[in-house]
Amino acid sequence: MKEITKLAIILLIITSVAAAGLGYVNGITEGPIAEQLRLADIEARKQVLPEAEDFQQLDIESPDDYKIVSEVFKGTVGENKTGYTFKTVPSGYGGTIEVMVGISSEGVVTGVSIGNHTETPGLGAKAANDDYKGQYTGKTSDMEVTVIKAGAPSDNEVVAISGATITSRAVTDGVNEAIRYFNEKLR
Amino acid sequence: MKLRKTVLNGIVADNPVFIQMLGMCPTLAVTTSAVNGIAMGLATTAVLLGSNTVISALKNFIPSKIRIPAFIVVIATFVTIVGLMMKAFLPALDKALGLFIPLIVVNCIILGRAESYASKNSVVNSIADGAGMGIGFTVALFILGAIREIIGAGTLFGTAVFGAAYEPALIMILPPGAFLILGLLLALFNWISMKKARGENR
Repeated sequence: MKEITKLAIILLIITSVAAAGLGYVNGITEGPIAEQLRLADIEARKQVLPEAEDFQQLDIESPDDYKIVSEVFKGTVGENKTGYTFKTVPSGYGGTIEVMVGISSEGVVTGVSIGNHTETPGLGAKAANDDYKGQYTGKTSDMEVTVIKAGAPSDNEVVAISGATITSRAVTDGVNEAIRYFNEKLR
Repeated sequence: MKLRKTVLNGIVADNPVFIQMLGMCPTLAVTTSAVNGIAMGLATTAVLLGSNTVISALKNFIPSKIRIPAFIVVIATFVTIVGLMMKAFLPALDKALGLFIPLIVVNCIILGRAESYASKNSVVNSIADGAGMGIGFTVALFILGAIREIIGAGTLFGTAVFGAAYEPALIMILPPGAFLILGLLLALFNWISMKKARGENR
């Protein structure tokens, strides 16, 4: 047998065993991973719209106009609707950031939660801390939220994370898109 | 006895970061906090143990001409397994480190140990070597991460160590801080080993 055939066969055996092993591990972890993502989403929705007891997914109207809005849920208590949650995916410093936004029926932001992201640890990743994302709570849908770098924020302003202005702007974009969708489609 | 020496060798005399200068990319990138350093070190150790075991067991089966692609396949397989396991069972850790896990594939410590140790030694010795190198890497990442976190964020493991008046030196969390601290630590280690060598000569 030519040497090259032998080498190829050995490499094929190694890669086949590796593939079989990976397939097996993937089979074990597939369920738990999907479950983790689902739980994280449910958790995030409850966090940003704490009043609601049930959530129903709505179809996104004219998705081309709202490119970064990826999911809309209606939150209800019994028969009454209390508000909406929006999952938006604005682009940050290291890639897209999943931003979950809750808006009450009256048009007040009830909370913001940060899901999967690839922002710089220690800087942009701080967007997920309450110190930062808590600033959005209580903003009203009649004004766009803007980012300032320092100083005392007025009603429609948030203070950027120091050293991570791009991330702060991205999260704010997500919130503003959710507000826009709410104003134009759900009000 | 010999096994213990092999393990200790990886931690102190042949420390992958401070002595061999291997794995600089993850060392500089993930050490923004002590927890990140430890977690990255442990994930690397898990891959190192797996790849060293398999590669030394297969050392007579893998022809030397295709050893590099064969090693990479073995290493990449273990990295993917660690990544999937973390996603499924340790989601919080995955959130912090998910980005860096695939980078373990190209960590030269792992390929380096496969090439220079596991492919020439018995399975048991290779496991000891993997453990030593892994722990050595973890310790180095922890030291670097802890210093950067204390100076750059004023915290250690997330709890504040200074009073509220402390203004964190942000540069230590940013990439330049990694180079500064690593340089100072290397100088310190060299100074200690030089002092030791001089003492022995006398």
